[in-house]
Amino acid sequence: MSFDDYKAVIDEGDTVILYLTISQIYSIRAEAKTLSKKGVEVENVFQTPYGALKCADLIGKPYGSKITLSKGWGYVMQPTPELWTQTLPHRTQIIYTPDISMIILQLEIAPGSIVVESGTGSGSLSHALIRAVKPTGHLYTFDFHKNRVELVREEFAQHGLSDYVTVSQRDVCSSGFGDELENKADSVFLDLPHPWQAIPHTLNVIKETGGRICSFSPCIEQVQKSCEVLSKLGFQEIQTMEVLQTSYSVQTRKLPVLDLDFLKSEKDGTETKGKEREVVKCVTAVPPASMPGHTGYLTFASLPPVWARSLQISLNQAQEDNSPDL
Amino acid sequence: MDQNVIKVGDFVIVQRQGYTKLHKLKAHGTLSLGSFTVELDNIVGEKYGATFQMKNFPGNRKLFTLEKVDEMPGITSINIEKSGLDNRNITDDGQSQNLTTEDISKLKSEELNSNSIVEKLINNSKTFNSKTEYSQEKYIKKKEKKYFEYVQIRRPTIRLLATMFYRQDPSKTLGIRIDDLSQILTYSNIQSQGTHLLYDSGTSGLLPAALLHQLGGGSPAHLIHLHPGNECQKSALVAMNFPPEQLNRCINVNLYSVLRCYYQQKETFDDPPASKKMKIEEGAVPKKPNWQMENERACQLLNKGVDSLIIASKEHPNALVSQLAQFLTGGRNLIVFNQSREPLQDLYLHLKEKLDFIHIKIVTNFMRNYQVLANRTHPEVNMTTGGYILTAFKLK
Repeated sequence: MSFDDYKAVIDEGDTVILYLTISQIYSIRAEAKTLSKKGVEVENVFQTPYGALKCADLIGKPYGSKITLSKGWGYVMQPTPELWTQTLPHRTQIIYTPDISMIILQLEIAPGSIVVESGTGSGSLSHALIRAVKPTGHLYTFDFHKNRVELVREEFAQHGLSDYVTVSQRDVCSSGFGDELENKADSVFLDLPHPWQAIPHTLNVIKETGGRICSFSPCIEQVQKSCEVLSKLGFQEIQTMEVLQTSYSVQTRKLPVLDLDFLKSEKDGTETKGKEREVVKCVTAVPPASMPGHTGYLTFASLPPVWARSLQISLNQAQEDNSPDL
Repeated sequence: MDQNVIKVGDFVIVQRQGYTKLHKLKAHGTLSLGSFTVELDNIVGEKYGATFQMKNFPGNRKLFTLEKVDEMPGITSINIEKSGLDNRNITDDGQSQNLTTEDISKLKSEELNSNSIVEKLINNSKTFNSKTEYSQEKYIKKKEKKYFEYVQIRRPTIRLLATMFYRQDPSKTLGIRIDDLSQILTYSNIQSQGTHLLYDSGTSGLLPAALLHQLGGGSPAHLIHLHPGNECQKSALVAMNFPPEQLNRCINVNLYSVLRCYYQQKETFDDPPASKKMKIEEGAVPKKPNWQMENERACQLLNKGVDSLIIASKEHPNALVSQLAQFLTGGRNLIVFNQSREPLQDLYLHLKEKLDFIHIKIVTNFMRNYQVLANRTHPEVNMTTGGYILTAFKLK
C-alpha cells in the first residue's frame, strides 16, 4: 500500500525498495509470511549478498533509514514509479524512465486526466501514469494476455492504487476500447506490435475537445505505417523522436606528471633521488563502456477538437496530394 | 463559462505552420507574426483549435484580419507537369526565378494565398521542371511555408510552452529542454500531494508552471517557488491560465527574504496557535505587506519539511543544496539541473562526503526527432543538446 501519498514509516504489507549499492536495488514486501514456489506459507526472508533479511523486521522502520544486515547494511526507500521500473518483475519488455517521462509530458497528463493504455505489459509505465492522474483522474489499461492482466491487477491492489486504475483483458486492435470509454479519454498510449490497427479505434475514445496520442514502437517500419494512418485520420502535429539517457560515474583520477627537464643537463646522479613523483588530481565523469543505443521510437500526435477535425483531414489530404507519387 | 471559448484576457498560442507565438489577448489588439501584422478581434468568442485565414486589409499592405474557416475550398493540388531525374543540369546562378522581390511582395499584398503564389513562382521558375520529384516537393513545401495564410489558435500547454521557449532561445529556460523538463518532473516524484520546494533562477516560469500543473487543481499540494530577484519570472505561470485556487498554491518568495524570515522569526511559526492569536491582536495594526505574508506562509510549510527539492540555478549548486537540503524530508528526492556537467560533478563529490544522500546519479540525454515519410525516413538534419540532471535520495 506504499505507492499512494508520501509515507514516513513502513506499514505491514508495504512494498519497500531495499538499496544496497547503486546497482543492487530490490523490491521486497514488508510481510512476515510469503508463499513458497510450492504454494506453502513460509517465513518471508530475503537473501542479499550481505546477509539475510527478515522482511517482518522492516515494519515500523522509517523510510530512508539504515538497515543492518549480518554482513553489511542497506537502506529502505519508499517505492516511486521510477524505483519500481528498476526493480519490477519483468513479464515483458518494459518502458524505462526516460521514455516514460517524455510520454507523460507530451501527452499533457496531469491530475484529473483520463488516460487509456494498451498493452499493460509489466505495468512499468502504468505506475507513472497513475501517479500523474490521481486522485481525480483514471487510467484504463488493456492487455490481451489473461495472466498478465491478473498479475498486474494484483500488483495495483498491493500497491494501494486500485481506485485509480481499471485493468481489462482485451485485444484493442480487433475489438476497440469498448463503448463505456466513448469520448472519455484525454490521451491514449499504444505499445502494440501493430499500432496502426488500433489507431482508428482511438477516434472513438478521445474526447470531443481533442486529445493526444502516443505510439511506442521499436521498429521504424511500424512507425511509418502508424504515421501514415495518423495523417489520414486527421491527426496533426505528428512527431517521431527517440530519447536515450546516459548515466555518468564521477571519478577522481590521479595522473602522474612526467618531468623531462632534467634531461637537459648532464647526469650527476641526483636526478631521481628524494624526488616525489608529481601527481595531478582530475575530477571527471565517465559514461559507461556500453549502454542501450535504442529503446523505441516515440510517435506523438494531436487529435483536434471535433469542430476542427474535418478541416484537418482536408489539410492533411492536400499535403499528400501535393507530394509526388511514390 | 465554456473553457473552450477564446476570451479577452486569455493567453493564447498563435500557430502558423511550425511557428508559435504566445500572446495575451486584448480587446482590439494586434499581433506581429513575422512580417505580418494581424488583427485578432475575430478570434474572440470562437473556440480553441479553430483555424483562421489571414485576409488582406484594404488600404494597408502589412495589416491582415482573420476569418474563421470551416473548410478549405481553395486547396487544390499543384499540377506538376514534368520532373527531372537528377540535378546535373541545375546550377545556382540566382537567375532561375523570373519574378522580382517587388513582384512577389505585390502578389502577397494583393491576396495572401499560398496556393496561387506558389503556382506563380513555379510558372516563373526556369528550373522547376528539371528538378527531381523530391526536390519539387521540398520546393513547394518551403514556399508554401513562407506564404501560408492560415493560423491556428491554441490553448497554451506545458508541452507547447517548453518547445516554444527552447526554440526561441534555450537560455530562456536556463537550457532546460523538453526531455530535461520531463525527467525533472518524474525524478522529483511530484504528484497531487505534499509540499515541493523549487529554486529557479530564471526559466521564464516554465519550471514552476510545469510543477504546479502536476500538483493539479483542487489538491492539497503546495509549491514553494524561490527566486533570486524582486519579482520572479512568470511568463509560463500566467500563460497556463491556471484557476486562482491552483495558482495560489504556488508561493513565490525571494530566496534571501524567506530564509531571513525562517532564521530570524522561527518561533512565530513553530507554534501555529500562537501565531493565530497574534493575528487577532493585530487587528488594529496596519496590515502586513503581501510579500511578508507569503514569506510566513512559505516558512510554515518549510518548517514541516518538503517532499521534493528541485534546483535549476545559474549559481553554483553546492551552497544552495547545503542551505536548502535541511528542509527536505528524509526518504525524498533532490533534483538539480545544470546546463553544464562540472558544477554537478562538484555537487556529487560534496554529497558523497556528507553521507546523508545515496543513489546519487548524473544523467544527460541524447534526443532526436525523425522525418517520417515513405521512402524518406531519417533523423532530422538538426539536433539540439540538453543539460545535465543530478538526482539523489536523502536519508533519514
